[in-house]
Amino acid sequence: MAARLGILLLAMACAAPAAGDRSLTPAQRQLNLDSFDRVWTTVREKYWDPQLGGLDWQAARQELRPKIEAAATMEQAREVLSALLARLRQSHFAIIPAQSYEELDGGGAERQGNPGIDVRMVGGRAMVSAVAPGSPAAARGVRPGWEITGVEGKEIAPAVAAIRESMAGSTMIELLQARSVTARLSGRIGAPVSVSFREGSDRSLALELDRSRPRGTPARLGNLPEMNFWVESRRVRPEIGYIRFNLFFEPETLIRAFREMVTGCGECRGLVIDLRGNPGGIGGLATGVAGWFIGQPGQQLGAMQTRDTRVNFAVFPRPEPFRGPLAILVDACSASTSEIFAEGMKDLGRARIFGTRTAGAALPSVFEKLPNGDGFQYAIASYVSFSGKSLEGAGVIPDEEIGLARRDLLEGRDAVLEAAVSWIEQRKN
Amino acid sequence: MQCRSIATRIALAAALAAAAGARLNAADDLPKAETILERYIEVTGGRAVYEKTHSEIATGSMEIAGMGIAGKVTLYSAEPNQNLTEIEITGIGKLLEGTDGKVAWSLSAMQGPHLKEGPERSMALREARFNAQLHWRDLYKQAETAGVESVEGQDCYKVVLTPAEGNPVTRYFDKQSGLLVKTAMTVKSPMGDIPVESMESDYRKEGGLLVAHKLVQKAASQQISFTVESVKFNAEIPKDKFEAPEEVKALMKK
Repeated sequence: MAARLGILLLAMACAAPAAGDRSLTPAQRQLNLDSFDRVWTTVREKYWDPQLGGLDWQAARQELRPKIEAAATMEQAREVLSALLARLRQSHFAIIPAQSYEELDGGGAERQGNPGIDVRMVGGRAMVSAVAPGSPAAARGVRPGWEITGVEGKEIAPAVAAIRESMAGSTMIELLQARSVTARLSGRIGAPVSVSFREGSDRSLALELDRSRPRGTPARLGNLPEMNFWVESRRVRPEIGYIRFNLFFEPETLIRAFREMVTGCGECRGLVIDLRGNPGGIGGLATGVAGWFIGQPGQQLGAMQTRDTRVNFAVFPRPEPFRGPLAILVDACSASTSEIFAEGMKDLGRARIFGTRTAGAALPSVFEKLPNGDGFQYAIASYVSFSGKSLEGAGVIPDEEIGLARRDLLEGRDAVLEAAVSWIEQRKN
Repeated sequence: MQCRSIATRIALAAALAAAAGARLNAADDLPKAETILERYIEVTGGRAVYEKTHSEIATGSMEIAGMGIAGKVTLYSAEPNQNLTEIEITGIGKLLEGTDGKVAWSLSAMQGPHLKEGPERSMALREARFNAQLHWRDLYKQAETAGVESVEGQDCYKVVLTPAEGNPVTRYFDKQSGLLVKTAMTVKSPMGDIPVESMESDYRKEGGLLVAHKLVQKAASQQISFTVESVKFNAEIPKDKFEAPEEVKALMKK
């Protein structure tokens, strides 16, 4: 069961505070070396392709091991570990700084907070896509459609450009850019952050925003750092249900929400599942959720291929699944389990997909702790959809491509949701 | 004594896999499978003791290596072929799996209810057979010694058991002690044909029988370890314990 852990946390490293320049003791250097060996060996032994896609892994070791031996700070050591993993050119291989665990384990005021701003890239610019009700940003009047031009006096554009350049050709550019901006906005709860905006009438504006506890309830699974989870559901029309959640996490809570949605909306014209911004989570939950919408036994949302085993994402239909039209909303920040779910349901002809191409980061992965205390995320399998499509580096292509527009954001309009609702209404008329 | 089948049952529950590389030594004068299987019964306590046990409750813990994911496991078993496995994993929730001897099912916090059919059901019923080692002739149409193989540095007899329906099960019995030390099989389930390998160790006496208290299972590039903490034989188990939950019954009505 737990092997099919799906995945997320692509930019945990970005969200973590800087390590500082404190020099390392001999014992810490040894732990970093041990960590390097663990990472190198794990990839060699567990990467699903024994040939590592033709990569000369031994040469990578010979080149980089001396560098981690020479690393004077933890930050430098992490750069070497990350450089090693970067050679695989795959998502879901990452080093998570130990501070991420320490900060998040600390609880209370030590935990990560944010001003309540959701970020998406629109035309290469970082845009406020949503403001959490009751958040510090809402209290200061921040509105969707405002461009974020700087954080703490540093311009956003160069960082965004650097990601675009370094990730040229990748489907993950927008995801990483948005994560990068979000990471800059995040910090200790109670510690304010100064943000420069270009507001609706193109006027520049600088605001100091508090950082508050993130939305949702804290949740943990194994070696993943603690994350906040939330799920919400409502009717977007009297006969159209809508559900949205930030992670495929907390199985009992999430599945209960789907049960309530489906049983309470049995006569609905259709349902909308909004996966925009959802980075994934527990892989098995993709099939668990799918069971509420598929009545025929023997269906699957594709399969993962480890080095020696192919494991189907088998769907077990619920006793009374919802059989009406189903729309799934995605965007460039929908990743991993979100992609497996969306592509799987599309493949089976069970859902219509609306929005923009997803991140193309869909590898089942697991998290381990390294000897130096850092977390190590690594993919244990490739993923292919039922029809044989690999999502890694490709993403889910929506049936109806609808991009985000600044004007829509400023007007409070959700064109993607509107299209989904329209499709559901047309299906019944 | 169902403890010795914990690994297999968890394997089914978890649907994980691991391939076992086999190094088969040529061996002359191999004992018959029947002899090896009977010896196992004797070295773990003897037929008479087994026949005095009619039910069992075992508790323990599980951990996925390196991932920090852990949980509690409780197994209920009773004659003739009823069982219930309860696994509670922190951060994931509850997984139940069981059979009343007729209906085989699973119910998980993530996946919901599932009725087992075909080879999956056959295997579940075989695994549920109480004191299964006494009844191998009923459960398998063929048992043969396939050779001698080293497991963790110990020479073991390799016995292949072939059921009427489903994939064969390969068991490795220590030549010296006669104890079961490894089981390998390919589990057929909706998740595919998944190779599962489990290592049994840390045998301790419980109620007159030797029971493996440590089980390490490899499946789909993952390793799960189980530690048995308590075993109670002939404990009273409520009659309705092996009844399918309501969610499963709802599927049965369809």
